[in-house]
Amino acid sequence: MVYVVLIAGLLIGAPIAIAIISALLVFMATGEAPYSLRIVASEMFRSMNSFPLLAIPLFVLAGELMNESGITGRIIAFANVLVGRMRAGLALVNIWASVIFAGLSGSAVADTSAIGRVFIPEMEKHGYDRSFAAALTAASSVIGPIIPPSIPVIIYALIVSGVSVPALFMAGVIPGLMLALFLSAYVMLTVKVKDPAPGVTSDTQSAGQALLGGILPLLMPVFVVGSILIGVVTPTEAASFAVAYALFLGAFVYRKITLTSLPRIFTDAMRDSAVILVIIAAVGAANWLLTYNRVPNMLTDWVLGNVESKTMFLIAVILLFLFVGLFLEGIAAMLVLVPILHPIAVSMGVDPVHFGILVIFNLMIGLITPPLGLCMFVAEGIAQVGMARLTRSILPFFLVEVVVLLILTFVPETVIWLPRVLGY
Amino acid sequence: MHSLNRLVERILAGLSGLSIALVFSIIFVNALRRYTLGKSLPWGEELPIYLTIYGVMFGVALAYMQDRHIRFTVLTEFLSERVRARLWLLVDGITALSGLGLMFAGHAFAVRRGNLDSSGLKSAAGWLSDTTGFETLLWIGKTGTWQYAMPIGGALLCLAATLKFAERLSALRSA
Amino acid sequence: QTLRLAHVDPDDWTASKKGAAAHVFKNIVEGETDLTVELFPAGALGNEDELIGQAQEGLTQVVLVSGAMSKVCPAASVLDIPYTFSSATVAWEVLDGPFGDDLAAHCLEQTGLRTLAYGETGFRNFTNNTREIKSPADMEGLKFRVQPIPLYVEMVKGLGGEPTPIAWTELPNALSTGVVDGQENPVGVIYNNSLHKLQKYMTLDGHVYAADFILISDEFYEGLEPAEQEVVKKAARVAGTMGRAIQQWGTAEGVNKVQAEGMQVYSPTADEIAAFAEKAQPAVVDYLRGELGDDAVWIDNLQAAVAATN
Ligand code: NA
Ligand code: NA
Repeated sequence: MVYVVLIAGLLIGAPIAIAIISALLVFMATGEAPYSLRIVASEMFRSMNSFPLLAIPLFVLAGELMNESGITGRIIAFANVLVGRMRAGLALVNIWASVIFAGLSGSAVADTSAIGRVFIPEMEKHGYDRSFAAALTAASSVIGPIIPPSIPVIIYALIVSGVSVPALFMAGVIPGLMLALFLSAYVMLTVKVKDPAPGVTSDTQSAGQALLGGILPLLMPVFVVGSILIGVVTPTEAASFAVAYALFLGAFVYRKITLTSLPRIFTDAMRDSAVILVIIAAVGAANWLLTYNRVPNMLTDWVLGNVESKTMFLIAVILLFLFVGLFLEGIAAMLVLVPILHPIAVSMGVDPVHFGILVIFNLMIGLITPPLGLCMFVAEGIAQVGMARLTRSILPFFLVEVVVLLILTFVPETVIWLPRVLGY
Repeated sequence: MHSLNRLVERILAGLSGLSIALVFSIIFVNALRRYTLGKSLPWGEELPIYLTIYGVMFGVALAYMQDRHIRFTVLTEFLSERVRARLWLLVDGITALSGLGLMFAGHAFAVRRGNLDSSGLKSAAGWLSDTTGFETLLWIGKTGTWQYAMPIGGALLCLAATLKFAERLSALRSA
Repeated sequence: QTLRLAHVDPDDWTASKKGAAAHVFKNIVEGETDLTVELFPAGALGNEDELIGQAQEGLTQVVLVSGAMSKVCPAASVLDIPYTFSSATVAWEVLDGPFGDDLAAHCLEQTGLRTLAYGETGFRNFTNNTREIKSPADMEGLKFRVQPIPLYVEMVKGLGGEPTPIAWTELPNALSTGVVDGQENPVGVIYNNSLHKLQKYMTLDGHVYAADFILISDEFYEGLEPAEQEVVKKAARVAGTMGRAIQQWGTAEGVNKVQAEGMQVYSPTADEIAAFAEKAQPAVVDYLRGELGDDAVWIDNLQAAVAATN
């Protein structure tokens, strides 16, 4: 019964959180055990009653302020100076602007929309296929939540006690850069457009200006992520510093944010965070019900009884998450599956930090896969080329990302070397 | 009808924005105080959490009115405009009922143990009610006050979905 | 019939007192009755307040809780009066004797939950970064982080220190940046959270003894066969003893380890403890009498029970 309600709700396009809540309410009202409706509310409340969780709305707010303050333009100019003159320059700028953007924001969707709005029309103007441009924008924005700061990392650390945010943050750096390098190599090998990116001058003075213009925004990841890493501030406090800094840059340095635009920015940030947090809350309540009925224990027993080796387990996990990523939003998938899979991974001898990054990377690939891929939706919203055509353009990028994922899986040093060296 | 929807939307927007503005201010000021003066507020952690929960409940209703929730569009994309419009009405109905259910669940939750003291806020609430003379301010220090975010959120979601239903229905009729 | 047992501590029976108690309880009950016991450790079903609520509603049958008990049965908060128990053995004698039985009967009436037996979370001790503390005078002017609970604020004030309520998650930051000079916790908590790396001195003053309550829904208990009731009672007593044993072992090991890692640990003499008690008790007792109303009689009951052990 509960599954019927849930699946029907999801299929007719009800918001995910509401489909879950309605299924839970029906179950609590009709179930055989002495369930009480109250638990739906109390478990939702409990899932949100956490200080570390507040980093999410604050990083979303920092991201919105960054977008409004015209920082995107400066980042693009900065990336342009670095890689714009190379073969397939504009495509490379798209990728490396995402790398820089990743250091500022924890959200891939924000990256797709900020960079896509500039790049998709611009790339088309310079001879790139519009659909290719949209696919590249979506694919490279996946780097955002891998390189710190990262909202999925904060959520992962909330689910799995004993895995720290700083360790996961550090562990994401090399995988994020690897993804950027692989995507770069792919476009350099395949793209036939020869023109360098526009606006790249050999003029040293304006190149210098572009580099200088990028410094102020780039100070933010240095301070914010740095202060989390050396452990002087909690991620939540660091997120509040990020908000203050973005507010300061936007209002006083670049003068793009005015008193009249502030209320809308704050409202949008709370609304967009609420959409994520209510899913966290609803899945939390659903997890209570699953735990109460020992579903995780049964699944764990089944996996441990049927999966023989660590390699087999990791491959199964990759396939499972790629499959789940097709249909489920990443954070919801993490909330349901990580509490079950993490203990199994640990008992099979997988390093917890390694496993965390694999899961996050895996689910972030889901952002660019149809039928439910948020970055793909945003890119399609800007490019308007149709889902079918965009899907064909995304396929090669998807394969590149899977290759990177396989390397990360079977060469664990790519993930855990950096946090180890830094003593986490 | 249309203007009522806009009014509710604006109120929800104002409350959402206000919540996160307060959350940011408290966390930022508290962190600064700690690193400069070496002092921190006893409610500096609890209050932002509770304000965020209220903010989420306002934001959920607002996002519903603006069709911003994360949903599956796999199946609905293949349907005709006509069928989809009717499906939207059905979703509005389910959402309104879920909101109502959450309202009852949340009320049962908040009244059951709502009279317990919230550890971080208790002394601040005592001080407020002592200095202002308003005894009702003691409620700030009770957990139930903040747990009531759940039933309020349920009621707002129900309202948002009902208004959306009415708006879509009238659009369907006039089309 | 299935019996669901929930608590908020880790599952690992070698290091977690409630984890160990839960496993022992399960083994005895499943071995000697037809009941099936399902364990829900690590807060899987909720925090302590929530677990008590679920036991009252019949969603779970047995819960192991500590701090949350006094919220539903205020008389239990008298156990938190500082320096009441001079050693763990005194606490065990009082709780396993008539006082413990009377408190259990009183709380059963208040909550519908029957206390089957008492386990232990342990004694709390002061640590700080400034100087070795041997007497209340040494606490003068030092800032101590306390949980945001009024009883602890009163206690530290009474001892002459400056209580600073700070949330648990902020504690490591507050200690390393010098926002507070010290804090107080059980040894196991101090070691497991590496607080000894941020603090130079620890005084094993054991100011507050925290008990674990092994609670069963009375409605469920009354529905059991008399033979099953006996097994459940016995299993809970063994479980409580196991919890106490693991806790004692953890404390002893913790003291050794923090010393090995360079912390200076001081064990006060009986006279020194008496000096602490003289300062801290009146402040807390006054506060509790105001809070408890009619239940204040439990303060006197407890003091009489402790006196009877000497
Ligand atoms: Na990032
Ligand atoms: Na990009």
